[in-house]
Amino acid sequence: MSDEFEPKIIALVCNWCTYTAADLAGTSRLAYSANVRIIRLMCTGMIDPKYILKALLDGADGVFIGGCHPGDCHYINGNLKAKKRISGISKIVEQFGFDPERLRLRWIGASEGPEFQRNMNEFFESIKALGSTPVRDRMIL
Amino acid sequence: MTMYAILETNNNPSETIRSVLKNMLSEKLVDVVLVPFKTEYSSLPMPTLIADPEKMLQAQPLAPAAPFNAARQAASVLRYPTGKKVAVVLRTCEIRALIELAKLKQCVLDEAILIGFDCMGRIENDSYLEMAAQEEDITTSFYADSSMQDRITGICKACEYFQPYGADLTICLLGMPVMEKIGLMAGTEAGENIIKSLGLSTVEQPEGREVAANSLLQKRTEARDKLFSETSEKIKDIEKFQKTIANCLNCYNCRNACPVCYCKECVFLTDVFAHEPEVLQRRAAKRGAVKLPADTTMFHMTRLAHMSHACVGCGQCSSVCPSSIPVADIFRTVSAKVQELYNYVPGRDISESIPYLVFEEESSNGK
Ligand code: SF4
Ligand code: SF4
Ligand code: FES
Repeated sequence: MSDEFEPKIIALVCNWCTYTAADLAGTSRLAYSANVRIIRLMCTGMIDPKYILKALLDGADGVFIGGCHPGDCHYINGNLKAKKRISGISKIVEQFGFDPERLRLRWIGASEGPEFQRNMNEFFESIKALGSTPVRDRMIL
Repeated sequence: MTMYAILETNNNPSETIRSVLKNMLSEKLVDVVLVPFKTEYSSLPMPTLIADPEKMLQAQPLAPAAPFNAARQAASVLRYPTGKKVAVVLRTCEIRALIELAKLKQCVLDEAILIGFDCMGRIENDSYLEMAAQEEDITTSFYADSSMQDRITGICKACEYFQPYGADLTICLLGMPVMEKIGLMAGTEAGENIIKSLGLSTVEQPEGREVAANSLLQKRTEARDKLFSETSEKIKDIEKFQKTIANCLNCYNCRNACPVCYCKECVFLTDVFAHEPEVLQRRAAKRGAVKLPADTTMFHMTRLAHMSHACVGCGQCSSVCPSSIPVADIFRTVSAKVQELYNYVPGRDISESIPYLVFEEESSNGK
């Protein structure tokens, strides 16, 4: 293996839309970066800020959050709650030196397999360009 | 027109307020008053619920001390309506926190009479006790001698919210010759009724309050901006932040002291963070070493994620920290950005929703 930077990316995706899109990308054999580790949740509205903070403090280079398009959330407005919450978390982590680009929220519908692939590749590229997380190789109290 | 009454102070503004509060009780305008109170055991005034007008003698409504942010004590008295009228005398940061707790349905303010005062800041408990050992009436000296006002906490010096928001009655000190007279201003109809029932003669609001407020605001804003820029420097990357909180003991005093840390049960006291031995061992194996107690950084960041929209900058978290971590400086600095993002000022207006409870429908892709 080369020393090339291999980002660790966590994708928190909702069961009903973005995970289904990921599944569709898989069955359609749409390849995307293998650095993405998917965690399926029932809805983005159940993303506790701790999930994001833990990922960042444990060394994730990027955290992607994918949910249903507004109006399509299976729990009515979980995605809008997530959006509000994530905007705050992003403001917070930014002040401790985490580039807000390390957090990305996108809406990807169940039928949008290619969209999922494109988003994963784009996010991978942008994290790659940002470089390693500031917490790698550092003791986090 | 704002209803405004002038009260003579005869070199003792505390006494003036005490007699107003006492009359409110004896005239049965309110049933109980929550007010800072000097017990027979210590000089440090503690929030105390007074029913007997005679007890008002020991009240310290204007004392430049606050052993904690009394919003929580006020909320415990106002947890649900009891049919009694409760007056609470609170600092501005306490009223603001109380309003946030009301938004969270942890108290009901319908029966409350909120009495605020122009806040000149508070002195840390230990300094206050030291000063109290030297002189009998610190409160009077504090207002008589402005050099004593330099001894307030750094976070108070940087607080631009010294004028009460949403109070029924405001004790006006700004721009007043406090040793001669102070003002009592109604902010609501309930406040007006009290001024009327007490038979206080009302006058046109004297000029000078706004000028005094503006010049204090300028001073405080400058101090605030300096605090923000110095603190940002201390946390601006993870290494600096780790150095700043390196002596944290995970005692959670800061969280206990915080009036707007609103969870009934803190997640840091639950099984979520009571890790199994295997979890700790795995973390050590993964990262090479893990400091215990673990999750110190996680604790502070989670607390910010929960309550930064509501931080009122009262400074109590710093005051209680055994490790002298500038918790309040950090929380105020970070919170200011979050509050700016949501255009939210905690405690500004009870009808204003908590930002996390309003979500706009929009179509743009996630951004
Ligand atoms: S975080 Fe600190 S300064 Fe802010 S409200 Fe809580 S105790 Fe007060
Ligand atoms: S009070 Fe100080 S030592 Fe205790 S948890 Fe808060 S920051 Fe850490
Ligand atoms: S179910 Fe997909 S975001 Fe709520």
